[in-house]
Amino acid sequence: MEGLAQDILNGLLLGGLYAVVAIGLSTIFGIVRLVNLAHGDLMILAAYLSLFLISAWGVSPLVTLLAIIPIMFALGYGLQRFLLNRVLGEDLEPPLLVAFGVSIILQNFMLMAFTPDARSLMSDLSLMTFSMGGNLSVPVLYLINFGIALAVVAGQHYFLQNTYIGRGIRAASDDQYAAQLMGVNTKHTYAVAMGIATVTAGVAGVLVGMTFTFYPHSGPQYLIIAFGIVVIGGLGSMKGTFVGGLILALAQILGARVFGPGYQLLCGYVVLLIVLAIRPQGILGKG
Amino acid sequence: MANRFTKIKGAILTALAVGLGTVPVWGSEYAMLFFMLFCIYLALAQMWNLLAGYSGLISLGQQSFVGLGGYTVAVLSSYYGMNIWLGVGLGGVTSVLLALFMSLFIFRMKGVYFAIGTWIFAEALLVWFSNWAYVKYGSGLFIKPRNGLSMAAIYYAALVVGAGSVALVYKLLRSRLGLGLMAMRDDAQVSETLGVEVFRLKLYCFLISALVTGITAGIFYVFQIFIQPYKAFAIDWTVKLVFMVIIGGIGTIEGPILGAFVYVVLSQFLAEYFSVSMLILGGIAIVVILIAPKGIMGTLQEKLGFELLSPRRN
Repeated sequence: MEGLAQDILNGLLLGGLYAVVAIGLSTIFGIVRLVNLAHGDLMILAAYLSLFLISAWGVSPLVTLLAIIPIMFALGYGLQRFLLNRVLGEDLEPPLLVAFGVSIILQNFMLMAFTPDARSLMSDLSLMTFSMGGNLSVPVLYLINFGIALAVVAGQHYFLQNTYIGRGIRAASDDQYAAQLMGVNTKHTYAVAMGIATVTAGVAGVLVGMTFTFYPHSGPQYLIIAFGIVVIGGLGSMKGTFVGGLILALAQILGARVFGPGYQLLCGYVVLLIVLAIRPQGILGKG
Repeated sequence: MANRFTKIKGAILTALAVGLGTVPVWGSEYAMLFFMLFCIYLALAQMWNLLAGYSGLISLGQQSFVGLGGYTVAVLSSYYGMNIWLGVGLGGVTSVLLALFMSLFIFRMKGVYFAIGTWIFAEALLVWFSNWAYVKYGSGLFIKPRNGLSMAAIYYAALVVGAGSVALVYKLLRSRLGLGLMAMRDDAQVSETLGVEVFRLKLYCFLISALVTGITAGIFYVFQIFIQPYKAFAIDWTVKLVFMVIIGGIGTIEGPILGAFVYVVLSQFLAEYFSVSMLILGGIAIVVILIAPKGIMGTLQEKLGFELLSPRRN
């Protein structure tokens, strides 16, 4: 049983990071009914941007968020307004395939611009741990991830519930035409929603970059994690996203403990397929 | 009118068949390589088109069958010394078995969930194969034919699956199953109440697509000689197929032919810059979806009313 408590603790904290990876995908899925297949690649793009800013300004990765948040918002807004809005319609396939195209373009752009080498966002925080007595210790970075994840999820929830544009986004999501009749510019609100989702992807990308190494092709791996969490937790549910993140992270870390580190990802996928097959609407999803 | 078109169609098809059938005679090694890749991608793209264009199943997991088909021939030929073409055929069989197993899970999912479900399956296979001692982990396997194979033999095998995939889809769409598929595409609920067994039709298409994809991948890896999980189970396979079919025309038989040709030309010109060719392909695909959602062939058909291979019976 040596280290089991430590593994569970790490799994729970990692779950917070996974929740912030998934929240943007879940939001856009819920509001625009679009599976943004480029979600993971947008995360990795933010990680590379942060890497660039760290070397340019010589600051900590968390400080680069000040620049990354507005950049990612503009990118997401533009992507939705000028590209994805044009193909939204009854059919789910065209937007899915456009997002797929964007994903491949981003990956290959990053491959050319930043070489295929492994990168990570180093900072003083990387090696710090915080002892909790006994054999338990908490990596400070994981704690920061968890805190920021909570803040992002809560912040987005507050925005959608309590601001004017947030209400507009929810209205457009419930009934696009009724919202238009009430004077909501749905094209603009969709774009704002995508902007916000892309900001959460950017924050997730920087946190992931600080915690793990990343490559230009890392995006799909996180897209699958994000999608898995959305599936496990249920669509559009904030609580579900957090619970889904915890379940997936625990499945991976405990799976690695039992079957060996090579099988960490496989255990996550198997849990995911089982949930999909038994309860396609997710554990906390409605219906 | 119809008669003249029939004659033109006959002439085009005969010219294509004779031209492709005699490449090893008149062509250089390079021409043979070019048309072999064309045939292989044609078969794979035609199978993705059968799913996405006719059955409403967007699969992002075709690489599961590519990898399994390739690994089947690799294991059977290098561990058991089996005849290489028998191994290729068995690769199709194992792919069908995998598709049957997958269908237990993913046929409960719809639309986008189906798409990602197939992808997750492929990723799971990638992780499994790269951690499996029997197939030498991630370092890969060699495919050893007992007696050396000539390039022409591999070319003809590719031609058989390339032309065969077109003929198969053509025949399929003109059969009862094809009628059901088209009814289902136009209105799934109405066709179901009229007695079309939607679930069974989709399953058949999924199995057929797995069979042909597995066999085609086997031929490709016989040519490549070497297989690795990170390449064989990579999403890149499906990415290419999606782009080919979208550019050529989704839901048309000729679309994948044109798409595969465009892809092979582009990838040969930019062989040293794989990223650039993928960037360009991604860009073209997005533009096509925005301005001509039916792809090049689909738009031409709409404008000119000319179909080389019509799924409709006259």
